[in-house]
Amino acid sequence: MNMNQPITILIAGLGGEGGGVLAEWLVELAIRGGHPAQATSIPGVAQRTGATTYYVEIHPQSLAALGGRVPVMSLAPVPGCVDLMVASELLEAVRAIQNGFVSPERTALLTSSQRTLTTFEKLAPGDGRFDSERLLQVAGSNSRQLAAFDVGAATREAGTVPSAVLCGAIAAVAASGVLPFDRAAFEDVIRASKRGVAASLRGFALGFERCRAALGTAPAPAVAVEPDLIALGHARVVEFQDAAYGELYRQRVERLRAAERRADPQGQHGGALTREGARFLALWMAFDDVVRVADLKSRTGRFDRVRREAGAQTGEIMRIADHFKPGVTEFAGLLPEALGQGLLAWESRRRRDGKPSLAMPLKLRADSISGFLALRLLASLRWLRRRGQRYAEEQALIERWLVVVETAAANSWETAFELALCARLIKGYGATNERAKENFRHIMNCLVSTDAGTIRRAREAALTDDSGSALDAAMAQAGAPARAVKAIPVRWMKRTGHRT
Amino acid sequence: MEVSFSKEVQQLRQGKGETFHGEGILAITKALLQSGVAYVGGYQGAPVSHLLDVMVQAEDYMAELGVHVEACSNEASAAAMLGASIHYPLRGAVTWKSVVGTNVAADALSNLASPGVTGGALIIVGEDYGEGASVIQERTHAFAMKSSLLLLDPRPQLPNMVRMVEQGFALSEACNTPAILQLRVRACHVRGSFECADNRSPAMSRKALRDEPATFDYEKLAHPPATFRQEKLKNEQRLPAARRFILEQGLNELFSGTRSVGSSVGSSDIGLIVQGGLHNTLVRALQQFNLADAFGAAELPMLVLNVTYPLVPEQIADFCRGKRAVLVVEEGQPEYLEHEIMATLRRQDVNTAIHGKDLLQMAGEYTVEVIAQGLVKFLARHAADLPLAGAQNWLAANAARRRAVVEQLAAPLPPRPPQFCTGCPERPVFSALKLAQQNVGPVHVAADIGCHSFATFEPFGFGHTILGYGMSLASRAGVSPMLKRRALAVMGDGGFWHNGLLTGVESALFNKDDAVLLIMKNGYTSATGTQDIISTPDDEIKATAENKHQSLVDRNHTIENTLRGIGVEWLRTVPSYQVDTMRRTLEEAFTTETGGLKVIIAEGECQLERQRRVKPWLAGLLKAGKRVVKVKYGVDDDVCSGDHSCIRLSGCPTLTLKDSDDPLKVDPVATVIEGCVGCGLCGENAHAATLCPSFYRVEIVQNPGLGERLLAAARRGVIGLFQKP
Repeated sequence: MNMNQPITILIAGLGGEGGGVLAEWLVELAIRGGHPAQATSIPGVAQRTGATTYYVEIHPQSLAALGGRVPVMSLAPVPGCVDLMVASELLEAVRAIQNGFVSPERTALLTSSQRTLTTFEKLAPGDGRFDSERLLQVAGSNSRQLAAFDVGAATREAGTVPSAVLCGAIAAVAASGVLPFDRAAFEDVIRASKRGVAASLRGFALGFERCRAALGTAPAPAVAVEPDLIALGHARVVEFQDAAYGELYRQRVERLRAAERRADPQGQHGGALTREGARFLALWMAFDDVVRVADLKSRTGRFDRVRREAGAQTGEIMRIADHFKPGVTEFAGLLPEALGQGLLAWESRRRRDGKPSLAMPLKLRADSISGFLALRLLASLRWLRRRGQRYAEEQALIERWLVVVETAAANSWETAFELALCARLIKGYGATNERAKENFRHIMNCLVSTDAGTIRRAREAALTDDSGSALDAAMAQAGAPARAVKAIPVRWMKRTGHRT
Repeated sequence: MEVSFSKEVQQLRQGKGETFHGEGILAITKALLQSGVAYVGGYQGAPVSHLLDVMVQAEDYMAELGVHVEACSNEASAAAMLGASIHYPLRGAVTWKSVVGTNVAADALSNLASPGVTGGALIIVGEDYGEGASVIQERTHAFAMKSSLLLLDPRPQLPNMVRMVEQGFALSEACNTPAILQLRVRACHVRGSFECADNRSPAMSRKALRDEPATFDYEKLAHPPATFRQEKLKNEQRLPAARRFILEQGLNELFSGTRSVGSSVGSSDIGLIVQGGLHNTLVRALQQFNLADAFGAAELPMLVLNVTYPLVPEQIADFCRGKRAVLVVEEGQPEYLEHEIMATLRRQDVNTAIHGKDLLQMAGEYTVEVIAQGLVKFLARHAADLPLAGAQNWLAANAARRRAVVEQLAAPLPPRPPQFCTGCPERPVFSALKLAQQNVGPVHVAADIGCHSFATFEPFGFGHTILGYGMSLASRAGVSPMLKRRALAVMGDGGFWHNGLLTGVESALFNKDDAVLLIMKNGYTSATGTQDIISTPDDEIKATAENKHQSLVDRNHTIENTLRGIGVEWLRTVPSYQVDTMRRTLEEAFTTETGGLKVIIAEGECQLERQRRVKPWLAGLLKAGKRVVKVKYGVDDDVCSGDHSCIRLSGCPTLTLKDSDDPLKVDPVATVIEGCVGCGLCGENAHAATLCPSFYRVEIVQNPGLGERLLAAARRGVIGLFQKP
């Protein structure tokens, strides 16, 4: 500790986490210890969950030792001159690093290992989340000392606010010589704050332990054991319909396997095409329809999960209201193909004329006897599914996909693999499902004969935005013809009077 | 109001011998009372909101002192309030966010500055500039110059900030000129301490009323011909008086450096002139060169301008005389100080080289790094003997580190702008607008200042222009006549009362404009800290409401009555959580054959305010063992398709993603995390937009009644018979 320069602490958090309280506690800590201290913040519209920062400076010498001399403290953190960087969220810790505040020579970095996703990351139809492993690596390699643990979990465990847990963590780091205050001094400040002291102290203690344990030791990345996807897929498909359908799944997987063997006799790719193909094939064959949804929503396991997630205690009553909006598409899906097609054609005509699509908003009380029985009734319509229009439509598209993959496999494993992965695009219900299939068909129509890279880029583009503009751009780059513009009803307003 | 200031209110009572610990803006508030202020007004807005908030909550104590506090409807009314100090020996202070607030106040300010004041008039502005700023980047300095107002920019240490308030009033009275005291964002929020003085009860106050009004005096009117004389007075009497006072009272601080050339000690050949507000930053920058210690003792002499307008020519000349070069550290553009310093030196034939914006960046906040970069250039040119290596290495290391991190990350970090709170009643309105546009086509959206401007961020991205607080409707007046589709103006109730009613509604009606106005009636000026306004539901209504969950803004009809009174015929009020109704109402407004102004009021009380009622209420009920129903929304992850269209329609902080438990699914699924307040938007959207059927609403009944328990048991029994695992 350089006794002639202030100890600098930068706190990065999200609005509403109590970062202000934490900064206040640190100043109070210093004042009680007889040290000059100053804190500033950029709360902005803090409680509106945006990124916020708090900055604290504490002079290492006590007022007595300074003999009346008043240190001039900075109101803003200085890049490379931060002693302790505290972040309640991993991405915000790395943001501070990117802004240059954290120094590998000087800064001890204390951060939560958990992510609070930004809206931006949540929007993608696929997976738009920033790679947490990489964030942790950057945090580790750019700080003098890293302590990362799940502050959110500790906060929930202790039933308190993040600031209390972080305060405990800071006390743990302080013990390693960053701050001239011991644990008791921290706890005294919390006691003096008077509000929710017991909970805060619980959180403090937990934060202290977790941080001390985490100091220096980088959190071990979770090693995922790859399950037997084909077995899982088979089980899923059987559960969805019946053993015969399961058999069909096996046959299709075999076709993928055969195709892959042709393309990669030595098995250099470790059967990735078969494995990933089987994964998406299963999800596709067990497509989402009313029958499946009703079945899933009426199960014991589901009721228990909802209870658990809602944090219901024994003796408390749980009511579940499920939001359904079955439309013509769902209904037609269960009708014989010819009938279903006719119904769909009629519906699309109505929509073309600017009429709203027919659908029935339902709030179904799954925990009431009538509601539950309604769900079971729908779930029992499984036999209809097999004869239904949706079933036929899906099987046809699946067959087409298989053929495309098989044909491609004759020339290149890579191309076949990328085409197989395109099945990932197929997901969802109603409009989402229509959009997904349209993208899928577009790629199948135009790119089957191109290279693996082009197909991968197109697939990834399709998963980045729902407007399809990214996909269109990628397709255009690949020299594919533009899609036909969808007809949407546009209503002009009638002008009234000469003024507008 | 969002925050309770009970503790701070107590601090206001502190007297001689006590030490104040707290925020800068509250120290300023205390200083007002120590200066015997008689009336205080203003319009809230970061970073100065707390001044007025505390004063309002300190009602009783203010009455004791006889101080009048007014929460003004906008900055113009606050500035006009200072008119009290023209005739009467009243010290008055008003506050607002600048530069925007000063723009609104400009008319009154000019008409205040021209006749000048008898009692001290102080305008405390939060200079919302640089990091964390939420408004256009301009300088308040221009207003001081054009209206000949005094401008104080105190060195940001609490004792000095307090001294500048007290001296500010005295200065204002010494030269009959209103003074602006400018505080940067961090100075408002800086936590420090100062030794208190006793508060002074004003001589003329609500407690000590004056018998007669002032006698008529035409010279105190901002009206010709008086205005012509007043203009002369400014430069012939008032500004000279101000300069004398600034010198005599030593308002600007001279820190003589330790550097000496030749024999004479402290005879530095170079120096620094800095705005008071930047002093600490400059010192920290000098420390990077080892040219200053932790206590501000610096190698180079420093003239710290606690008063940045007017400057004192002889003080500037004395400082510069005998120096080869001086660096002016002045934040923001254009470089008014630098120009004035150059001019005054030229006139007095002092030929010191003046640097400033030629070495320092023109735009943007002056951080330690920015100032250090300027110092490197300045010292390299004029003080080759001083060591630069340390600072240069530090700057280079920062740059290198940033580059390296960008490479390690490989992808840009996603931004995290502020967003609608969990359960905010404004979010559903924009979900509805998104859906409505899918049916009637995209519309031009004139946005406004307020929480609703968060709709300009993902997942909505609505808003073509923002022209100022309450200006949205006015800002589309030239647009809607040119478009085939109707334009939409969005406005908060805060903006409506601040400005929108007159600049927007009245004008649109008078001109028979064909437009759609959407008013967010959430009951408060929420973005500024949920201060009450005239359309805020009454406290007793809040107190007596059976169900504390419910929105209470529908109990106050001031906005509706005002609109009908002024002549709005097409007026719809829609509860904001009813997404489908709102969608249909918007579509009707966009397509109806009815011309003229169409107003939709989206009614839903600010969720922050509701939660402040709900939390203690529920805690009380549970403590008493009473029946409580907890509502939360959830997503069945085995039903969720992982497409996230629900999120693209909501953006709620508690509606987020998690890894799928299903090993077959690779894409993350939607999930509702704790913090969900059960506002109902998820369900409404699922229905209004036909989302996937994975959403459910779960109600947990705590302390249920016997009948309920029996019914539930019976249901479980029957269901158990048919249920699959």
